[in-house]
Amino acid sequence: MSTSILIIVFLPLLAAIVGGLGNRSLGNVAVKAITTGTLFVSCALSWPIFLGFLSGDYSAMVVPVLDWVRSGDMDFDWALRVDTLTAVMLVVITTVSALVHLYSWGYMDEDPDQPRFFAYLSLFTFAMLMLVTADNLVQMFFGWEGVGLASYLLIGFWFRKPSANAAAMKAFIVNRVGDLGFMLGIFGTFLVFGTTSISAILQAAPAMSGASVGFLGSRVMVMDVLCILLFIGAMGKSAQLGLHTWLPDAMEGPTPVSALIHAATMVTAGVFMVCRLSPMFETAPVALAFVTFIGAATCLFAATVGTVQWDIKRVIAYSTCSQLGYMFFAAGVGAYGAAMFHLFTHAFFKALLFLGAGSVIHAMHHEQDMRYYGALRKKIPLTFWAMMAGTLAITGVGIYWLHAGFAGFHSKDAILEAAFGRGTELGQFAFWLGAFSALLTSFYSWRLMFLTFWGKPRWAQSEHIQHAVHHGHDGPDEANPAWQEDAGHAVTHDVPAPGDMEGTAGYHPHESPVSMLIPLAVLSLGAIFAGWLFSEAFLDSAEFWDGSIYYNEGLIHAMHGTPLWVKLTATIVMLVGLLIAWFAYIRDTSVPGKFVEQFRLLHAFLFNKWYFDELYDRIFVRPAFWFGRKFWKVGDEGGIDRFGPDGAAWLVSRGSVGARKFQSGYLYSYALIMLLGVVAAITWVLM
Amino acid sequence: MLQTIAFYLFATLVVASAVMVIMSRNPVHSVLWLILSFFNAAGLMVLVGAEFIAMLLVIVYVGAVAVLFLFVVMMLDIDFASMRAGFVRNAPLGIAIALVLLAELVLGIGAYRAGALILGTPDGTAAPLLFESNIESIGALLYSRYLFLFESAGIILLVAMIGAIVLTHRERPAAHRRAHQDIGKQVRRNPKEATFNASPEIGKGIDL
Amino acid sequence: MDFGNYLALIAPELLISISGLVLLLVAAWVGDSAARPISILAALVLGVACFMVGPALFDGASGPDTNAFAGQFRADGFAAFAKMLIYLSGIACLMIAPAFFERLGAMRAEYPILILFSVLGTGIMVSSGNLITLYIGLELNSLAAYVLASFLRNDGRSAEAGLKYFILGALASGILLYGMSLVYGFTGTTDFTLIRAAMTLELSTGALFGLIFVLAGLAFKIAAVPFHMWTPDVYEGAPTPVTTFFASAPKVAAVALTVRVSLDAFGLQADAWRQIVIFAALASIVLGALGAIGQDNLKRLLAYSSINNVGFILIGLAAGTPQGASAVLVYLAIYVVMTIGSFVAILMLRDADGNYVENIRDIAGLSRAKPLIALILAGMMLSLAGLPPMFGFWGKFVVFQAAVQADLILLAALGIAASVIGAFYYLKVVKVMFFDEPAGVVQGRSETGHWVLLIGTAIIVSPLGYLLTIPLGLLADRAAVSLSLLP
Repeated sequence: MSTSILIIVFLPLLAAIVGGLGNRSLGNVAVKAITTGTLFVSCALSWPIFLGFLSGDYSAMVVPVLDWVRSGDMDFDWALRVDTLTAVMLVVITTVSALVHLYSWGYMDEDPDQPRFFAYLSLFTFAMLMLVTADNLVQMFFGWEGVGLASYLLIGFWFRKPSANAAAMKAFIVNRVGDLGFMLGIFGTFLVFGTTSISAILQAAPAMSGASVGFLGSRVMVMDVLCILLFIGAMGKSAQLGLHTWLPDAMEGPTPVSALIHAATMVTAGVFMVCRLSPMFETAPVALAFVTFIGAATCLFAATVGTVQWDIKRVIAYSTCSQLGYMFFAAGVGAYGAAMFHLFTHAFFKALLFLGAGSVIHAMHHEQDMRYYGALRKKIPLTFWAMMAGTLAITGVGIYWLHAGFAGFHSKDAILEAAFGRGTELGQFAFWLGAFSALLTSFYSWRLMFLTFWGKPRWAQSEHIQHAVHHGHDGPDEANPAWQEDAGHAVTHDVPAPGDMEGTAGYHPHESPVSMLIPLAVLSLGAIFAGWLFSEAFLDSAEFWDGSIYYNEGLIHAMHGTPLWVKLTATIVMLVGLLIAWFAYIRDTSVPGKFVEQFRLLHAFLFNKWYFDELYDRIFVRPAFWFGRKFWKVGDEGGIDRFGPDGAAWLVSRGSVGARKFQSGYLYSYALIMLLGVVAAITWVLM
Repeated sequence: MLQTIAFYLFATLVVASAVMVIMSRNPVHSVLWLILSFFNAAGLMVLVGAEFIAMLLVIVYVGAVAVLFLFVVMMLDIDFASMRAGFVRNAPLGIAIALVLLAELVLGIGAYRAGALILGTPDGTAAPLLFESNIESIGALLYSRYLFLFESAGIILLVAMIGAIVLTHRERPAAHRRAHQDIGKQVRRNPKEATFNASPEIGKGIDL
Repeated sequence: MDFGNYLALIAPELLISISGLVLLLVAAWVGDSAARPISILAALVLGVACFMVGPALFDGASGPDTNAFAGQFRADGFAAFAKMLIYLSGIACLMIAPAFFERLGAMRAEYPILILFSVLGTGIMVSSGNLITLYIGLELNSLAAYVLASFLRNDGRSAEAGLKYFILGALASGILLYGMSLVYGFTGTTDFTLIRAAMTLELSTGALFGLIFVLAGLAFKIAAVPFHMWTPDVYEGAPTPVTTFFASAPKVAAVALTVRVSLDAFGLQADAWRQIVIFAALASIVLGALGAIGQDNLKRLLAYSSINNVGFILIGLAAGTPQGASAVLVYLAIYVVMTIGSFVAILMLRDADGNYVENIRDIAGLSRAKPLIALILAGMMLSLAGLPPMFGFWGKFVVFQAAVQADLILLAALGIAASVIGAFYYLKVVKVMFFDEPAGVVQGRSETGHWVLLIGTAIIVSPLGYLLTIPLGLLADRAAVSLSLLP
């Protein structure tokens, strides 16, 4: 296992280096083959590890790689830690990454910069693997920042597009806010525990419970402070309420990136971190309450916003945000197993949804606005069925009495039961918010499906489609690829009138190539069966987790003991959401327009994402720019430059002229200066 | 008492005449003031019992100053006619200085007769006297204690001499040297070699 | 008085003066055609003198045994260190001169003899233990220097240089003598040790005047601001080999002498002169750098560079510790190598007519015509600027280190900041040579002797020079200790 873990982690790095440095000199196919091949190798090696832990054959171990820092008390190495938690993440990361690599063969086929793209993808995978195999907090931080970097590079992959650059910067900057919390958390942890080793910290954590520290004149609990700081890091990475604003914008990146980074893996790093440090969080009740509250609030917030978005990827992005909220409040109420389980299943069905959306977008010539979709069910049937599997999974379709259903059924129900079973008021609060969010989840998921695959074709108004029709669709459009001029559409609040939805504009959507369909098929299997296959192990098996997360036996019993209506809640709200969506988007398509008319303010509030961006713009961005401009113009140019470099240069050039004039060439002036020097010296010493 | 009066008189005059040296616009006046100043310095030396140095001052400096005076007159391109005319104007100052000098001479001799001023050292004791005679004392120190410095000073003078030669001495260029008078050659000259007959054809010159 | 011992102590001076006299006779007898052999002999004499000061240098000789003529002359390790530098730079100046003057048709047999006597004077300066010795040595050196400055007597600039140097030098000598007479008047002695003993308490105003005047007179000799005014004119006007000499031997002597006078005779009154030295140091660094920036003439530029470097040297002096003195010696050693190398490089540049190139415009694009010279000159410039890979950095480093350890942190910081200004014009020369359009002025071949000197200095200035740091530091430390600074 120690060899295979080394290969799993470092093979993607090797591929990234080879692909990145080789770039065009190696050629598209070679780089794609190398990166994708290595990822499949990693994936193939990861599953045996996971299955080994599943069967109980393996136990946790640490594989040392290199010495890193030995400085006084600070002492840590590069080492790969493999336990159940890591194994779960390993299969998630390598599987989704391998499939996304494969998918990108088809999706990025027309892009001129494919080697760079694949190298970034592999680099991301390496960083993510470093994060989940970290044996100490510093190494975790390395992976943490590594995925941040890769995310930045990939969001801004189409760097000629200003909006992509802006989105990349936004993602990076917002994440820095979280990273600051994470760093402070790491510093504080080192300060309190004297080590950065995760296992040592977790061992020592229970003893620190109840310790308090004076801060700004008040006593605060040490563990609460540390955990909240660490959780702020998780909030940034996992796009929780407050630091979520970057995630929807990150959809500017290519869709496979969204699937890999912004759905399945990177954004779940925060959940992973909380679970990894769960024994520590268990000693911090305030921090856990905070986690629960933020998780539940994010869950609701993102779901509400998701119901009104037109961009297919943004809907899924908000859905991701919302599902991450589920995971966090699951962790917050102590159901780390459920959180990890939802992470696991979510990785499959959300990646599936994204890749399916990507397939739709690919078919619709980079059109992302659902208003210009419709009636695609027959045109791209395979994509449709894959999306259907994903939708069934995310909405949690299943039958309680048979104990069988799609992936989301098992994991989401477990989370709601855990929240209820926790028995606290906050648990109740989370439960109700979660339940309502489940309704919204169902609604926006079906809304997406209905708008995309049912109804009549509304393609004619799409600029992308028109462009494709006029310029021919099939040949590679190298000179003027659609992504270069994809500035998005002017978003209008009106649903196009039914009368205008006639035309297909002569456009023929085409099913995606087989390289894109295989990942869809594989992920569909995951979305259908992952929950059913693994729910036993993830939710009810202390042996499976083997101490890698905090396992709350009592909470498991409470979960099983919840009333029947609680267990059925998720299914019921799912059906309600489905019905509303069906009614509004199939039965009577004028309903949404009327609803918007009726509740204009509410719609605007939701459509503008609760005005978070505007609020941040007012509170942070504009003052920051104002300060920046002040510091630049007044402080830097007017102060530092003027009196610093520029001023010094001016002074020197003036001084040089002066020094030359000083040297008049006349003897008597030389003599005079000498005598003045003597006089000045004497005056000085006499004074 | 008399020595003290003489000292202050000489000292005041040294300073005053030194000031006049640089104050007067006429270079001739400056030189006159300078002579007065040297004389007074020499008088001070006499007062402290350093007769030899006093004589050196008078002989070397005042003597040299006379030469300097000549140089100044020649190098400053002074019109001698106007100088002669100015003699009358310069005369009163010259006479006055001469009179002052005469008076000082008398006073100085008187003061010298009354005995030398005692020079002190920082610890209050009198400076040691090697020999009775100034010259003997100086000689003894110069050739023992200060031998190294004395010889080095000699080399300074040598360097000054070399410098003067380097900067001023010019070898006559070869072309000029041929035109030099060579007395031996002139004496050896005889008519046979010096003259010859030639009968050039008409219209042709003769090649000497 | 043990004359035998004294003669042994002044053996190098004896050798040089007697050889000078003999060679003078040869010169007078044979004439200018013997200029080259006399130069070689004079260089040999200085070489032998190097060996004679060697033991004192390596032993770090100190104490009463090194005093000759009742303390007027000191043959201690400090003097030996300075003399070694002086003799070596004298040899360098003798090596480069014949080719230069012969090309101008102005080689005279007196040149090596004047150099010898000037070196003799500088030797006496660094060995002086008495104000009179100081003055004699200074004048001996100066008189020869005045003549050397105007050695090209048909060249107006050379004559002007000599005259300016002479008049200002006379003024400086007056200031120095006045100071010495005051010091003598208020302490009753001219001996350094006794002056030190007399100056233990609060100084009277007169003694303070004397101290300042003496230091001012010496500051003229080392060309520290504001007594630097002669330097650019004289360096530019004097023949290049003579300028090389001025920038090396007398500079070493004057600095060493100033260090000795300040730390020995006036060592207990450091508070009186430290602030003035600090001011002179900073003013020299800044004014030297500023003045250099606008210059077209390379020699003039190097003159300002020497003013600039003197500023750094004075920082070491301002420290007022044995460490500071040691730093000064190390800096001097490196500086002498750099400055000789720079001047030799300039000396090797001639145009198509055989005239010497001195204008900075004419060396534009030198890297293409004379890549090696350009490279070495660039190395010298970077070293003078004190950029780390070059050896020049080490000199500045030890000086600043000494200042910091003497708690003169602000001075060190200001010095470092001001050295940035200096870097500008050094880098400008490099830029002109390497990046400007070739002016195509420089042509012709250079003499082997010049090449030997150039490459030798280049090796020392190059990063290889750091191999010398330990022996150089050791010798300088010993020399500084031999100053006997303890009260």
